[in-house]
Amino acid sequence: MNHRLVQWIWHVKGSLALAPGQTSDEVFARLDPLFRETGTTRQRDGSRLRFRKRDQAAQDRMAVFDGGELRVERGAEAPVLRYHLTSRALLFCFLAPLMFLVVARLTVIVGEYNKPTPAEIAAKEKREEAKAALPMSPIDTFLGAPAPEKPKKKDPKSKDDDDKPRPTAAYVFAGIFSVLYLVGRIGQARLVRRLFTARLSTL
Amino acid sequence: MDGVRVGKRVIGAQSPVTVGWENIPKVQGGPLRLFFFTWFQPTMLFALIAFWYYAPNSIAKASTAVGIGIGFKILLLGLEWLAPRHESWRLTWKELTVDLFYVSLGYTVLRLIEGFIGSDAVIEAVQTSFDWQKLAWFIGLPLLLQAFIISFVFDFGQYWMHRGMHNWYPLWVTHAPHHYITQLNVNKGAVGNPVELFLIGLGIGGLFDFLPRAALLAGSLGLAVGTYQHINVRFNSPRWWRFLFNTTEHHSVHHSRDFEASRSNYASTWVVIDRMFGTCVDGEAELLGMEGGRPMSIRETMVYPFADGWRTLKERLGRRSVMPAE
Repeated sequence: MNHRLVQWIWHVKGSLALAPGQTSDEVFARLDPLFRETGTTRQRDGSRLRFRKRDQAAQDRMAVFDGGELRVERGAEAPVLRYHLTSRALLFCFLAPLMFLVVARLTVIVGEYNKPTPAEIAAKEKREEAKAALPMSPIDTFLGAPAPEKPKKKDPKSKDDDDKPRPTAAYVFAGIFSVLYLVGRIGQARLVRRLFTARLSTL
Repeated sequence: MDGVRVGKRVIGAQSPVTVGWENIPKVQGGPLRLFFFTWFQPTMLFALIAFWYYAPNSIAKASTAVGIGIGFKILLLGLEWLAPRHESWRLTWKELTVDLFYVSLGYTVLRLIEGFIGSDAVIEAVQTSFDWQKLAWFIGLPLLLQAFIISFVFDFGQYWMHRGMHNWYPLWVTHAPHHYITQLNVNKGAVGNPVELFLIGLGIGGLFDFLPRAALLAGSLGLAVGTYQHINVRFNSPRWWRFLFNTTEHHSVHHSRDFEASRSNYASTWVVIDRMFGTCVDGEAELLGMEGGRPMSIRETMVYPFADGWRTLKERLGRRSVMPAE
């Protein structure tokens, strides 16, 4: 598989055209507040800035990223800011649906392995019947609450089992995390670009 | 910081906590906004109670409750987005994703395990060994009374388990990761180590049985009251509501960075239980968390009880080994 395509999963790269004559000192001075957050360490090396984030605060505007590099390079007409950021949160979110597919499969296997015996099913049905036969409070009868129904006898050949663990929730979460990943991968890349643009536009 | 004396304790000496309802800000805005944020909570509660009381048997079942629960939480997430209580608690993509990961564990892996060793297994075992005619008196009670008893007794069990977690180290290490959250959002109740979520579910509610409809009514109390513990929305909750029920305000005090404040408001739904045992503090806090607000990663949350337990054990054993022999 294409290495760049795999990297795209949790690497966010981009570039921003700077105004002619802007120096790396000016650019990094403007961006500096973003790297002064709790848990962030940064290292400046000429026209390059490297940073790492650990235990990012929830409201850190770059909380989704764990590290990266920003470089100011010479362009054809004006300097360019290039950035390369990495995010474990995006990688985790990408892998989460796969994990839930495994959980779904496991749920099916456990359900098959842990089938209730005919005696357990009969005991449960007896219990439900006994409960439904108990008298309802006259207050509830007066207020019009529906009386409990007698449980329907299950067809012993029926494959449906209400107590069997179902994989539905795992499939639903696999779907939710797939959507969250796409929203995050596209949205966070746009947000960080907008964040850099906003800070640099005041130059 | 001086803090405020509440009974024998001083609240807010380490981190800011507003004590007293009279000092808590109210919702500001036009009459429509005030009306909405004053009556939303009671209206939803009574609407849910009425629904479960009168719903035909064909729809009064657990799957409907799950659907309503999800719909209600989406509605509350919308309210958080439209009218956040604190900007510093605003939900971000990362916070939502992490919160949903913990929620998903509850719906999938934990549910699977609970069937074998958790409250589900306990309930099943207890119910199988009972003669139902002996419990006819309880099932014959009015539905709403049954629902109240189920909810209150379950919350009573949770209160003591929760209080135990704040007072006994082996239980605390399972609960500590939940206290590293630095903001309250609708799904934050699920954030924590799975061992804790398993322990807190071991209520005494499983020791008696009830009509399914009564259980659904009790569940609606948890949904329409307990959910507000973790929410980034300000409501003008009525005085009777604040007296009986846990609120965001109460729970923010519990999650405060102030140690004494965090040892209050243990109940999940019925804060009146805290009033009964002298642990209720009416107030609110915005600065939440532990260790000055250090967030805890998912990996650390998963291993914390074992890693911290092991570290503490080694420290204690080490200390003992360097003690001079008498």
